[in-house]
Amino acid sequence: MTMDGPDEIIHQSTRLRIAATLNALPSGDLLEFGKLKSILGATDGNMATHLAALEKAGYIAVEKDFVGKKPRTRVSLTRSGRKAFERHVAYLKDLLEGGG
Amino acid sequence: MNVTREEAAKALDDIGKASDRVIQLKGYHHGAPYFIIWGLVWLFANCGTYFMPENEKYFWPVGIGIGFVASLIAGALQSRKWPKGATASAAERRFGSRMGMTAGVVMAFIVAIVFIARPESGREVNAMISIVFPFLYMAGGVWAGWRLFAIGFVTAAAIIGGYVWIPEHFELWMGLFGGGSLIAGGIWLRTA
Repeated sequence: MTMDGPDEIIHQSTRLRIAATLNALPSGDLLEFGKLKSILGATDGNMATHLAALEKAGYIAVEKDFVGKKPRTRVSLTRSGRKAFERHVAYLKDLLEGGG
Repeated sequence: MNVTREEAAKALDDIGKASDRVIQLKGYHHGAPYFIIWGLVWLFANCGTYFMPENEKYFWPVGIGIGFVASLIAGALQSRKWPKGATASAAERRFGSRMGMTAGVVMAFIVAIVFIARPESGREVNAMISIVFPFLYMAGGVWAGWRLFAIGFVTAAAIIGGYVWIPEHFELWMGLFGGGSLIAGGIWLRTA
């Protein structure tokens, strides 16, 4: 049971799915932007907007580098992002079980 | 901010689907090298047997030996990717040991089937052993994802088709299409 309210940043549908996808990876694992986009079926613009919001909140870390001459963007869930996600899931479950 | 029970249920459903998709992709990526390795073993052993039948008895033991060593190396390389002490690492180790035990059960099943059915020709032995694996992939694919099922289906069709229609070139067929379908399947899984 949790006494916390919903996390307004994570609760938005695309951001929730981004967090859920990254949370399913081992801690510290990075996921390529293109792969994440493909998993979620989102557009470049939509993804960039929501990743920026999550990064601003400190929930994800974005790493940019080059593989050869090709730019690569990878993201991972930070420790505070993982905790926020877990708190939000606990809140949702609590709400469904009648606690809300 | 207010969240209704319906919104909460939908959000949890979305979370479940996203997690399932990641687990499926991880399974594909973990399985891919083994498909490529054993596809190469099939290619090597079957084509070797076809083109140099006088050395038939050497190709499969050598191929299987190389396949096991390569699989062990692939497994070790994959386990290094997990950070030590992470929860997923423990789960991964359990997964690895269960995969090993499952492989042992499958090998025992094959030995039992060959012992009971007593195939008479090399072609029958080859087909009987080889056909077990694609059906396992199909059964696994029912649970793990349609790509695995598709690889099993194509490989099984290749084995049965070759056995029935081109018995005189069966090893060559098995090497090129059986092994080739596993290699192509492994590459396909990597791109998922």
